[in-house]
Amino acid sequence: MKRYGDHRIPGRLFVVEGIDGSGKSTQLMLLHQWLKAEGYGVVFSEWNSSPLVKDTTKRGKKKQLLTPATFSLIHATDFADRTERNIIPLLKAGAVVLCDRYIYTAFARDASRGMDPEWIRELYAFAVKPTVGFYFRVPLEVAMKRINDARAGFKYYEAGMDLGLSDDPNESFRLFQGRILDEYDRMIPEFGLTVIDATLPIETQQQEMRLMVLAKLTQAKQLRVAP
Amino acid sequence: MKESYGVRLPGLELDDLVGKLIVLEGTDGVGRSTQIRLLKEWLEQQGHAVLDTGLTRSGLVGKGIKRAKEGHTLGRITLSLFYATDFADRLENEIVPALRAGFVVLTDRYTYSLMARSMVRGLDPAWVRNIHRFAPKPDAIFYLRIGVDELIPRAVFTRGFDYWESGMDFYSTEDMYDSFRKYQTALLQQFDELAEEFNFNVIDARPEPRAIFEQLKAGIDRILAPPVARAAVAVTPSPGTGTSEAGEEVAVEELAEERRKRA
Repeated sequence: MKRYGDHRIPGRLFVVEGIDGSGKSTQLMLLHQWLKAEGYGVVFSEWNSSPLVKDTTKRGKKKQLLTPATFSLIHATDFADRTERNIIPLLKAGAVVLCDRYIYTAFARDASRGMDPEWIRELYAFAVKPTVGFYFRVPLEVAMKRINDARAGFKYYEAGMDLGLSDDPNESFRLFQGRILDEYDRMIPEFGLTVIDATLPIETQQQEMRLMVLAKLTQAKQLRVAP
Repeated sequence: MKESYGVRLPGLELDDLVGKLIVLEGTDGVGRSTQIRLLKEWLEQQGHAVLDTGLTRSGLVGKGIKRAKEGHTLGRITLSLFYATDFADRLENEIVPALRAGFVVLTDRYTYSLMARSMVRGLDPAWVRNIHRFAPKPDAIFYLRIGVDELIPRAVFTRGFDYWESGMDFYSTEDMYDSFRKYQTALLQQFDELAEEFNFNVIDARPEPRAIFEQLKAGIDRILAPPVARAAVAVTPSPGTGTSEAGEEVAVEELAEERRKRA
């Protein structure tokens, strides 16, 4: 089993992190479009999308069966399935892989639910270290306004309702995501995350991202081109 | 009064658990389920409430694992974590509540089987151990030990070779027999190492089930508080249970010996 930082593979892995409403998914989509247009062999991988584990996770969430421990472990299982079947083979084949959320999401969420931070980090030791981990930093109020403008209300686990912080979803979201922001701040130096100011105009953020990604791609010699 | 192997789960208190956690470990086909059945009956007759449980039976994940295994598509890291999820679910929803209520929990395998399985598949031992550090330490771990040569006829003449029990998921170039032999040998070696590390109570699984049962009873007697009407059970002959009476006497004698040792 190769550990975090031990993988030597020709591909490149770019991940985006940040709380809901930080705009990270929009930025990743724009990056994806650009890389495709440039002719790179690029594959997009979403958090929580392994077909195998998805059903169990979905059922657990819908019926609210998950405790902090099972929430943590089922997401690790899902991530392992994607890593073993998708991310590692793609990177070995020389692809550019994009991930919307990565292990840092798990570290932030699970620690906010009271799981032991050291234990979680070791749990994910099999993960490939990203070429660049982008962290979209945004104040809580801005994120909440964006979410409220876009759709009605917060989801149960997203608002940390399982923790009983508050009966009011808005208040619960604020408290829970506040904890998550603190966890992210701790991880910036720990994992060398690249911080992007997510209050800047979308175009400016994207420009910064592309420059950084381009620098990493020009160093790579064995990247795959799209057929 | 229980403690874990070093990691505390949020909302899962272990210090108020009054029941006893008894683990039966051993490889496939060694006769664990027969023993669990006998022990459950015996414990209940003595007035203990018993919960018997095993791997991959949780409400959350059990079905998912079964389905995934039918397709043989799980990677080894994924499978390890899937089992750990299942274990955590069972621990929180079944085992800990039963221990809190004062039950004797008899579990057919515990985290050690999961660890052995993962390590045979080449996963990092430190990583594997870390996953299960939230598990409560059992009151007793009985390991039914058998050699591969004794194990093979049991597999051949009862259930046949099972795909997973033969490790076919990773010795895929071998036939079932060679694969079974290789896999079970590697598994037994892992178990032997775990037995030392986690202080298993090793029981020779070659004799007749009844003889093994007697040993298990004696071992369990040592960790249980004196049960209801203990003396009455030992002296009143009831028809049709000849062997188990003999067992009671053995158990009582051993208890007395224990007391003498302590005094």
